[in-house]
Amino acid sequence: MIYRTQSVAYPYFVVALLLFVLQVLMGLWLGINYFATIPQEIVDAFPFSTARAMHTNLLVLWMLLGFMGATFYLVPEETGSELAWPKMAIAQLVILTVTGVVALVGFLFGWTQGRPLLEIPRPLDVVVVIGALMFLANVGVTIIRAKRWTATQGSLLAGLVFLAVMYLFGIPFYENISVDWYYWWWVIHLWVEGAWELIAAAITAFMLIKLTGVDRRVVEKWLYVELGLFLFTGIAGTGHHYYWLGTPRYWLWVGGIFSALEPLPILLMVVDTWRDVRDRTTRLEPRLTWVYMFGMVILHFVGAGLFGFAHTLPAINYYTHGSQVTVSHGHLAFYGAYALLNLTFFYFAIPRLKGMPDHAYDERTGHWGFWLMSLGVLGLSLAFAVAGVLQTYLERVQGQPYIVSQEPIRLWMLIAFLHGLVVLAGVVVTVRHLLTLKPAAAQHG
Amino acid sequence: MTERTAKWIFWVGTLSSLVLFLALTFDTHGQFAALTNADKLDEQVVAGKRAFERHNCNDCHTILGFGGYYAPDLTRVWTRLGEDSIKRRLRSPEVAFADSYRKMPQQNLSAQEIDDITGYLEWVSAIENNDWPPQHSERRWKRSTERLMAGAVLSPGAALVNQEDCLSCHALGERGERKGPRLEWIAARRDARWIADYLVDPQAVAPGSEMPASDHLSVEQRQMIGEFIASLDRRGGGDS
Ligand code: HEC
Ligand code: HEC
Ligand code: HEM
Ligand code: HEM
Ligand SMILES: [Fe+2]
Repeated sequence: MIYRTQSVAYPYFVVALLLFVLQVLMGLWLGINYFATIPQEIVDAFPFSTARAMHTNLLVLWMLLGFMGATFYLVPEETGSELAWPKMAIAQLVILTVTGVVALVGFLFGWTQGRPLLEIPRPLDVVVVIGALMFLANVGVTIIRAKRWTATQGSLLAGLVFLAVMYLFGIPFYENISVDWYYWWWVIHLWVEGAWELIAAAITAFMLIKLTGVDRRVVEKWLYVELGLFLFTGIAGTGHHYYWLGTPRYWLWVGGIFSALEPLPILLMVVDTWRDVRDRTTRLEPRLTWVYMFGMVILHFVGAGLFGFAHTLPAINYYTHGSQVTVSHGHLAFYGAYALLNLTFFYFAIPRLKGMPDHAYDERTGHWGFWLMSLGVLGLSLAFAVAGVLQTYLERVQGQPYIVSQEPIRLWMLIAFLHGLVVLAGVVVTVRHLLTLKPAAAQHG
Repeated sequence: MTERTAKWIFWVGTLSSLVLFLALTFDTHGQFAALTNADKLDEQVVAGKRAFERHNCNDCHTILGFGGYYAPDLTRVWTRLGEDSIKRRLRSPEVAFADSYRKMPQQNLSAQEIDDITGYLEWVSAIENNDWPPQHSERRWKRSTERLMAGAVLSPGAALVNQEDCLSCHALGERGERKGPRLEWIAARRDARWIADYLVDPQAVAPGSEMPASDHLSVEQRQMIGEFIASLDRRGGGDS
């Protein structure tokens, strides 16, 4: 930590981590719903739908808080100045956290917008928008006052503004369901395959500059290329969600072609990371930070790039659309790209925030956390994938009724659940480790 | 690569994709009305959509393939099950799915909400969406029924279905009404024997449904009807 106000990032990380644990607990409950028969009374009181809304909203909330914390850490260093309004940053965290908690409790009582992933009721959306405006104002004014512009913080800011603007398309009530889904994807797809990728690329570039000592100009040059490819493929690539919702046929072509190219910028991120590491002027330490960094770029590519590509062409998507295949991809992509991005940044920033000598920390249990989580999510996603392929064949090709085709799938959902337990163990270890991070023990002997 | 080239890639890439996307968005808006039959999108449909969202149906069920994957896709549920079957499930899911390993909550929908949601699902079922989902493609059902009818001399079971006026509630090929399930759909879960038994007293299996009992038919007649309906199964055969 170089600037005092960077410390506002820490409470963001803490809240994010706690919500992450809750998210995974909800995921396990969803898994149980799939392989066990839940009695009617429980289904009436706490249905799958409510738990799913909690699982996914917790996911989005903790990741956004993580990104915001990361931004508050990053911007002072990039601008070379203190944050404009550190107290407002804390107020914003309180507002957003309270909004999130109210939304989650509201779900329990059936207060919901009722659209998947966008369940937060409209009155609360207004509060979210206010929180977002506070955030953007704080960051924007800091940058403007400092009059120091870098491509890294520029892309970060662009991603954040893009993210906030897209959220607005998710707020209105749409009478026509096709129009509704059309704009729903402006939030969901243009977030994870647009705005969030800009944020990921910028944060990764920042860490690589700091960790490898590679010349900023080199890193930022490639950052431009990454962003250009992300947006070129990602914007028109939205069409891969427009195949079956009541749109003209040309979307089969546009969506298919552009989205098939989406893995390229992700691959470029892998290559860039590898090149920066090769040309480093520093040592690869602490090891755990690097385990996370490599884990992130690789699983980002596998989950989003490979698993995404696997079902993005219309001829395949016709059969896999809206099945467990989608769930498989959703989990590995979100974990690989954005859960690990956040955690990597936490491991990068917390030793600095706590002023540990050489930014070195006691990393032993942290490795356990990483591997339990990552292998757990990999197993979970593969189990979902088997379930998905089965469902695709039994339901979509053979034409079995949904509820009949689900019977053999229950076993695979049990297997997914068991991997989920491993994920939970990993998450608990990781969160504990991060929240109690200690300086590296003095060398013995 | 120079920094100039890199910036050039960024701007050209971003802007070209953006312009294409916005142009197609504009064009798509011009076509939504025809593809979704917007002329039939009346107040009831809108009320149905609101009720559907109020009760968060979409986090268990997909519709147009989006949402939770915990329960059957509802895009073509009206085509498949028909009005009365849907209403019975919405009225008393705890009865309709009592024997199932997966339950749907009793959300105490009002009669008005049930009508609205059913109207909404009817409107959704006609959206022109490149014939997704594959398993519910009505075009394929109709085609296989036509072939069946053309290939064989009408079976005695088919004659009975006509004579007993089953098509005043059930759809078959191009004919019939949409109160009960489309006949081609039934055999995906039921065999001839089961159907023959069902006809004696539908209320025993589906309490509260509108289907009248056919206990005046002989065992043989009911079996013939059952065999006819079972023969309509299009599973496994795909298009043929
Ligand atoms: C907790 C999850 C859940 C919620 C919420 C839910 N359902 Fe269901 N629904 C199910 C399940 C599971 C089935 C299938 C049960 C079976 O076939 O054994 C089902 C079946 C149905 C069916 C019959 C579908 C078919 O193809 O057989 C309809 C229609 C339906 N639900 C409509 C609704 C509507 C409308 C709502 C909102 C008011 C709703 N559901 C809310 C779980 C849910
Ligand atoms: C007044 C309307 C009506 C008439 C007439 C009628 N049905 Fe039905 N039928 C229904 C409804 C509604 C259902 C759905 C019941 C439910 O599950 O909610 C149904 C269900 C069925 C089922 C069970 C489907 C399943 O998989 O659960 C069969 C088989 C069936 N009908 C056959 C027939 C035959 C054969 C005739 C003529 C003899 C006939 N029906 C006449 C309304 C009717
Ligand atoms: C990090 C980036 C990504 C994340 C976090 C992500 C996440 C998701 C999620 C959560 C869904 C399900 C949405 C829903 O219907 O509820 C989804 C759907 C989909 N994703 Fe991704 N994705 C990413 C990148 C990609 C890429 C690069 C591709 C293609 C190459 C892709 C292809 C698809 C497709 C085709 C679907 C639709 C599945 C269906 O038809 O049901 N995704 N993605
Ligand atoms: C203990 C581990 C977990 C289990 C058992 C689990 C299980 C589930 C289940 C059953 C669903 C519902 C899918 C459906 O509608 O049928 C779901 C949805 C989802 N989960 Fe998890 N989950 C876990 C952890 C995670 C993690 C770690 C992430 C992300 C980092 C995540 C992200 C998501 C997303 C994005 C969806 C929505 C998927 C979609 O719309 O396709 N989950 N999860
Ligand atoms: Fe997408």
